[in-house]
Amino acid sequence: MHVAVTAVGLDRPGIVATVSRVLFDFGGNIEDSRMAILGGHFAMVLIVDLPEGRDAPELEKALAEPAGALDLITTVRPVAEAEAGRASGSPYVVSVYGADKPGIVLRVSQTLAENGVNISDLATHVVGDQEPVYVMILEVDLPPGAQADAISDALKAIGSDLGVDVAFNPMDTETL
Amino acid sequence: VAVRPVLHYPAGVLKATASPVEPGPEAEALCADLVDTMRASPACVGLAAPQIGESARAFCMDVSGHPKASSCAGLVVLLNPVIVSHDGSAVTREGCMSLPDFTGNVRRATTVTVRGTGPDGTELEISADAFEARALQHEIDHLDGLLFLDRVSSLTADLFPRQRYR
Repeated sequence: MHVAVTAVGLDRPGIVATVSRVLFDFGGNIEDSRMAILGGHFAMVLIVDLPEGRDAPELEKALAEPAGALDLITTVRPVAEAEAGRASGSPYVVSVYGADKPGIVLRVSQTLAENGVNISDLATHVVGDQEPVYVMILEVDLPPGAQADAISDALKAIGSDLGVDVAFNPMDTETL
Repeated sequence: VAVRPVLHYPAGVLKATASPVEPGPEAEALCADLVDTMRASPACVGLAAPQIGESARAFCMDVSGHPKASSCAGLVVLLNPVIVSHDGSAVTREGCMSLPDFTGNVRRATTVTVRGTGPDGTELEISADAFEARALQHEIDHLDGLLFLDRVSSLTADLFPRQRYR
């Protein structure tokens, strides 16, 4: 069975080693995972395959003490089996940047959802002290038949509404 | 002359250092297969011998009509290629026929000059920039058992600066 493991805590060396030691000793296999420093906190989300007969509460218990020693907030929850498949749409990259203000993520993601566009990757970052600039980069998949121009226009309209800049481009991958 | 299957990682030949090739009829046959196999996939602009299972220092490339191409030498078939000079550097997201479903940001020189011979032994030198330069470097990497994953320069866009907190 697959479980989703999350852990967040003030960044310091040893977090990954500690969590992966517990998972290894438990017989879990880390499949897809993402880990990054977010605002000084190390955050990880892992999809872990557990061996037959073991379950999420057991793993959560096993994690409690070593994770607690690092002041990590951890969760372990079972997840439904997802069917692997390639994205059928066309990949695009959306960049949104400008002065930080409430609603950027909401407005952009809402417009994408309304157009059936699936977000496959999203990161936001605030850069700079004096005049902080908010940067959001998304990788999205347009469904087959989607009107890229219309989606681009809708996103740019949000940009002028919020006073931020928006770019919408096909993802540039050079397959060699 | 045949379209051959394009091998996917973890085929061992993709990680091996390929052997030098003698120009001649055998090399010509191998290169004909390379070109046929490249032409069989519309998106394919280059193919190295290890990708069709031959651990030989040979590749073909043709960036004609590619929107990112600046220099374009047309169809290039080279044996024993060596990069004799390179300049500049740029990061672009790359993918590879032998590693489907993966892409990564790879830093490569923006101009290169490559020397080698044709399948008949004719000495050739090609100077390329932009997309063609990237393609040359990607194909020559295949001859040294290097995949783009060996050269990944960053996980995502080289955009978010690394920050120290505290």
